[in-house]
Amino acid sequence: MAGSGTALQVEGVQKSFGGVPVLNSISFDVPSGHVTALAGENGAGKSTLMKIISGQIKADSGVIRLFGETLEQGDPIVSRRAGVSIVPQELSPYPDLSIYENLFVGREIRNKLGFLNHAKMQERARQMLENFGLELNPKIKMNRLSVAVTQLVEITKATSWGAKILLLDEPTSAIPDREVDQLYKVVRTLREQNVAMIYTTHRMVEIQEIADSVVVLRDGNLALNVPISEADEARIVRSMVGRDLEKLESAKLAANAPKRIAVRNLQIGKKSTPVSFDIAAGEILGLGGLIGAGRTEIAEAIFGIRSAQSGSILVEGVEIDIRTPSASIKAGLAFVPEDRKGAGLVLTRSVVDNVSLPHIGDFSKGGWVNSRSRNSAATKVVESVNLRSRGLSQLTGTLSGGNQQKIVLARWLTHEVKLLILDEPTRGVDVGARGEIYSIIRKLAEDGMSVLLISSDMPELIGMSNRVLVIRGGAVVGEMSRSELDQENAQIKIFQYASGQVTEGINV
Amino acid sequence: MSKHGTSALGNLEEAEKASWNKERIANLLVRNSMVFVLLIVIGYFSSKNDGFLTLPNLRTILIASAPFALITLGQTVVILTGGIDLSVGSVIALATMTSAKFVVTHPDQFWAAIALGIFVGLLAGIINGVVIAYLNVTPFVTTLGMLTIASGLAYAIGNGAPINGLPERWGTIANSKFLGFQSPVFVMITGFVVIGIVMSRSAFGLRIYAVGGNRVAAEVAGVNPRRILIYVYAISGTLAGLSGVILSSRVISGPPNLGSGYELSAIAAVVIGGASLMGGRGTIWGSFLGLLLIQTLNNGLDILIIPAYWQSVISGVLIIAAVTVDMWATKRSTR
Repeated sequence: MAGSGTALQVEGVQKSFGGVPVLNSISFDVPSGHVTALAGENGAGKSTLMKIISGQIKADSGVIRLFGETLEQGDPIVSRRAGVSIVPQELSPYPDLSIYENLFVGREIRNKLGFLNHAKMQERARQMLENFGLELNPKIKMNRLSVAVTQLVEITKATSWGAKILLLDEPTSAIPDREVDQLYKVVRTLREQNVAMIYTTHRMVEIQEIADSVVVLRDGNLALNVPISEADEARIVRSMVGRDLEKLESAKLAANAPKRIAVRNLQIGKKSTPVSFDIAAGEILGLGGLIGAGRTEIAEAIFGIRSAQSGSILVEGVEIDIRTPSASIKAGLAFVPEDRKGAGLVLTRSVVDNVSLPHIGDFSKGGWVNSRSRNSAATKVVESVNLRSRGLSQLTGTLSGGNQQKIVLARWLTHEVKLLILDEPTRGVDVGARGEIYSIIRKLAEDGMSVLLISSDMPELIGMSNRVLVIRGGAVVGEMSRSELDQENAQIKIFQYASGQVTEGINV
Repeated sequence: MSKHGTSALGNLEEAEKASWNKERIANLLVRNSMVFVLLIVIGYFSSKNDGFLTLPNLRTILIASAPFALITLGQTVVILTGGIDLSVGSVIALATMTSAKFVVTHPDQFWAAIALGIFVGLLAGIINGVVIAYLNVTPFVTTLGMLTIASGLAYAIGNGAPINGLPERWGTIANSKFLGFQSPVFVMITGFVVIGIVMSRSAFGLRIYAVGGNRVAAEVAGVNPRRILIYVYAISGTLAGLSGVILSSRVISGPPNLGSGYELSAIAAVVIGGASLMGGRGTIWGSFLGLLLIQTLNNGLDILIIPAYWQSVISGVLIIAAVTVDMWATKRSTR
């Protein structure tokens, strides 16, 4: 560690919103050249703390000291001048401008006549990117970059303003695993340059990989503040949830469970290999693979969001119409999409509206909604998923991520579901709600529902599935039974299939 | 000591209760801000002029609101899907001219002439809807195009001149009275009640909100967003057609510029009524209040003999102020 004194001191910071305490006298230090992982469930107060340090909001009481100087809170410009930069979770680059223009917005290099000096800015931009090992043409437009690279450019931008303290708000939440390494590299470079960093994340692997120390918030209180050497995964998780994480246990599947769903020669793209597989009643079939392997596309084609080139889906031996989601819903299919806010919920509407939308026709008579039958059905299902809300009329936009995901799941349960398709059901969901979602899925499978589970979270995929198919390039390249999943090398084997190191012909 | 402690606790509870009440009152004010603004405006004008808060004058306000009522309704439904319908003003003109031309040449075909005007509006709306839903042209551009097309057609039907010599019976559509109110006032109230109930109580209403709030999510939940879009533009067009028939009856003629600029009044009423141009948020009740507020203001300013150009300035300020308050209120309620 290249530490040279304390960069950031948080002292007794307290903050409430509308009478509800969000942060309770939080105190910790971050030395220069030191990465502090800030962990905690959704709603634990991480974002609020980041916002206070970066000057977007003011604490009710407490002091932020930067290099010994007390920060005048509540002004982002003051925070930035004092050396604090934040890379928010939701990036906001200028998509139609080039990389170098993005880097220099607000401090453009001009020539003597006052016009922009493009050549010089491009040259400087190239140097700034190279500093982080990024070999990018600075003239490329921002919208052509992947989310991961966009993020690295944003970090470059943030630190090139001379940031001594960098706040990274869930930097890996939106980027594929294979691009995480480059982020680690950048973080390590910054550490060598003596920048103090706070890094929020849900993922234990990342904390172990990158952090020098761990601060855990729970319900606005400081639950843990220790060097990484003293923080193993179990201890961090215990501090986050206040209890031991329940061990994943896959639902038991009867050996003679009848085949219920048959996917036959489903061809997604013109050149892709057709896929075929069966799912038994009560079976959780996992789809493993790298990001971009084509798993979501398969799910979307089954549900009718994406039109397939050819192929058929049979439910209990009968071929169903998969051209539109509404036809799929009628056939007993249900889909929980990967992008909860983008494709799952209507955030401007209430819990009951969202829960009843997929089957609104069945809650209506002659087009008029029967609010009694709708409310009782909605009450039943939101209770079954243990939803925490102020009531059926609360707007879904004001719920936490975990509770939103419960609604996306619960809304299918008002009617009989034969096949439940889950695409990354716990992404961005806090640890506590994650465990609840697992129990719900397991219970549904035990009651006889067939489940297709897409997950990039290995413990989740291995722990929940009765069987796993590994997808690569849109095709099934490997199959693993429950007994194979129980073996210690299961994770490695899935990875080998997914990355093309082993191939196995699959015949259904 | 213990006594002191109890009383401190009591004070704390009271303080909490008081702040909770304050919060609740503030929320109530924010949620019904338009009602209060309307009451304040009414209060102001009635204090300035005794003639303002009288039954005949309130009737005048309702009568002045009526011509905009149907297109405001249509506009609300369209805006709730995140769209906009700029064509309603010239669809009024087109419907007017079609009906007028037909009834002049076929004076005995009274009902057919009415139906024709409404049908022309429906057709224009369906074309808007199909282009927006299936060709993915933005609503702004599509309906701007339709605005120009319909206006051109309206002039073409009359060869650039108004159509006169409509049968007297044509005037009975808008000029017959019930209970002292002209029929357009009843059409307005019926329209707001019916569509208000449809939007808040029917499956169709919820689907419109869902498409406006999140089109992708609505589709995943089994809603056909394209069909919904065609329906809302068809509704907007049909109501504009009916509006054209009623307006031409008021003047018993067919001026090709009838309804010109009305689309902006309708959009203003919807926006003042709290609907979001991004879609998914707003109510029919809000739009009704928005419409009443604009007309009350115009009426009051007329009574105070404020020139029309200053009225225009005041209306503009009101639109911006209403949206500002609404943004603030939304931020507060979703925090």
